[in-house]
Amino acid sequence: MLRLNPLTLKKIRRFRSIRRGYYSLIVLVVMIVLSLGAELLVNKRALVVCYKDRLYFPTYGDMIPGRTFGLDYDYETDYRQLKKIFARRNEGNWVLMPPIPYDPYENDLRKDDFPPFAPSLASRHFLGTDAVGRDIAARLIYGFRIAIFFSLGLLVINYLIGVAVGCAMGYWAGAFDLVFQRLIEIWSNVPFLYVIIIISSIVVPTFWILILIMALFGWMGMTWTMRTMTYKEKARDYVLAAKALGAGDLRIIFRHVIPNTVAVIVTFAPFSISGGIVALTSLDYLGFGLPPPTPSWGELLQQGWANLDAWWISASVVGAMTVTLLTVTFIGEAIREAFDPRMHTIYE
Amino acid sequence: MWAPVSVSGSLKTKTGWGMLQFRADPGTGTGLVSGIAAGTMTETQLRGTIMTAYFIRRLLLIVPTFIGITILVFVITRFVPGGPIERIIAQARQMQMAGYGSGPAAPGSQTQPLSDEQLRTLKEYYGFDKPVLASYFSWLYKVLQGDLGVSTRYYDPVWDMIKERIPISLYFGILSLVIVYGVCIPLGIAKAVRHKSGFDNVSSALIFIGYAVPGWVVGVFLLVLLASHWEIFPLGGLVSEQFEDFSLWQKIADLAWHTVLPLTSYVLGSFAVMTFLMKNTLMDNLAADYVRTAMAKGLSFRAAVFRHALRNSLIPMATSFGNNISVILSGSFLIEKVFNIDGMGLLGYESVVERDYPVVMGILVISALLFMIGNILSDLCVALVDPRVKFE
Repeated sequence: MLRLNPLTLKKIRRFRSIRRGYYSLIVLVVMIVLSLGAELLVNKRALVVCYKDRLYFPTYGDMIPGRTFGLDYDYETDYRQLKKIFARRNEGNWVLMPPIPYDPYENDLRKDDFPPFAPSLASRHFLGTDAVGRDIAARLIYGFRIAIFFSLGLLVINYLIGVAVGCAMGYWAGAFDLVFQRLIEIWSNVPFLYVIIIISSIVVPTFWILILIMALFGWMGMTWTMRTMTYKEKARDYVLAAKALGAGDLRIIFRHVIPNTVAVIVTFAPFSISGGIVALTSLDYLGFGLPPPTPSWGELLQQGWANLDAWWISASVVGAMTVTLLTVTFIGEAIREAFDPRMHTIYE
Repeated sequence: MWAPVSVSGSLKTKTGWGMLQFRADPGTGTGLVSGIAAGTMTETQLRGTIMTAYFIRRLLLIVPTFIGITILVFVITRFVPGGPIERIIAQARQMQMAGYGSGPAAPGSQTQPLSDEQLRTLKEYYGFDKPVLASYFSWLYKVLQGDLGVSTRYYDPVWDMIKERIPISLYFGILSLVIVYGVCIPLGIAKAVRHKSGFDNVSSALIFIGYAVPGWVVGVFLLVLLASHWEIFPLGGLVSEQFEDFSLWQKIADLAWHTVLPLTSYVLGSFAVMTFLMKNTLMDNLAADYVRTAMAKGLSFRAAVFRHALRNSLIPMATSFGNNISVILSGSFLIEKVFNIDGMGLLGYESVVERDYPVVMGILVISALLFMIGNILSDLCVALVDPRVKFE
């Protein structure tokens, strides 16, 4: 069990006392956990099929051919159709579908109409479909999962580089610091989008390649913060004391300086997460993010912009973004307040 | 514009800021004290000299950084597929294909459609015949003479293309500056004075929504709701088609009508940072001893706020003021794309997408210079308003 020192415990208690941030954290964690089990909530495969008194659980694992359930084809069973057939035959067989019985990749086309279809409870497209007939709710949920883990991955890489380089710059200062300062100044002026477009014209960006490209331009913020923090910490007496006791550079950095800057790193993390989500969405919107047909909020926004009449497309994405980004921002604000409480004198 | 997507959220790299450091305690400036002890200068004179030297050094550092930035991007443009020559080859190939008809695997698609002679002329025209560094320096030489080259797509001079867009970006830049400062300073003061009141909480929640959702997303939503669904505002662009025939008042009204939605998208995100900066620093100052003293000697609360606390609270606002010169000229290309406004942002974006290298480099020159000068101006603003800042 991780032993927390009293100071950290106090901070956690203070965080919990800030209601807005605490509830936002709960909401966000629930959303992430639910999105991890998205296959159980949003899927064209059934949750449970009861056929001739045997139970099938088709969600995970290999596809089950239609012949298994007495249909006349060998490709994957169409469970929505199966449900109707079972209901018609009334032989005691049944199908339990997930709440949203559609796949994010699947085009639900109709004979007499063209997508986008407006939201309807009857067809179980709770938020309607996009311009090619894919369920919006399904794409939102899978898109959320990709976006949140994208920004978490990006955050880890950015912070690893940022803490390492920033600490080194602040600790060793001098020429090393100066060289890196110039380098950052040059690097931060390189048109970020330009490099992304170039790279995506050479290779199709996958999840990890895109994270690496973004990290290439995202490490500077944390580096700069860590540099300033290390400068501040280095000048304090406890570092001098550690030095006097004979501690080496690495020991001072890892045992003294970094633990004392963790507060700042943690404070910045939520804002980096919302930044990552926005960045991925913007790139997808422009068409330079993850390749289609990956479910993505940016791509949905692009569709919403192109089909202004289909208000439900933009409305659902903007709604989802507002909820997600707002909870993340509230968490960030609460963490900041918990770590650095501003106790003000107030005049009555 | 060049870093359109703020990857790290509120972590804005502010290069150069780290060199200026606030002295925690105004009394411990040993360097200055010993300088005065030597007896020749007053503290203010000495500070002035140090400051001038410091800013001259900063200005000189622009040169290597500028060369570093431009050389890096210039080299990238040279080694990337899809440049102007390849585009012309592709066009020639298409025309050839059309000539051959739609036969399977036409022989023309395998061979080079242009002769070696034509290719050499093209390379010479675009300066691709020389080694990278040589053509970089000939480009730099031209830039120093004020010649940014000619667009490889439209064959217009780059400077003319940029010059055309500047008024549009300036228009939005200045308007949003006025609105942001005009709203945030009073709002911040009001929130600080009524801390934890209903007004404070409600306005905080609203500001947070504006801060959390990026401006261009809000823009898409506004378009759908107010322009498409309710048809209150236009669907994009800056002026109506019949703009030329309008009278002056109609023109102003038309422009304003087209401005509302994009301006809202521009401004919303900036409210949060500025308002909270204003509120928090003002509250810090209200809690400081000198304000308590002022109140104790019988000053009214109002006077204490406006005559004492407010002045000191405006210092942090000054830290970002210098950077505004680059904000004015860039503008978000995402917002410009959503609302179909032909500003600098959209020009930069399109030149990048279309590989129009002279335009890319031209905009880079301007934005890099503005960025660096903006940083120095910011530091200068801080140094001017706050005598406690020391230089390293």
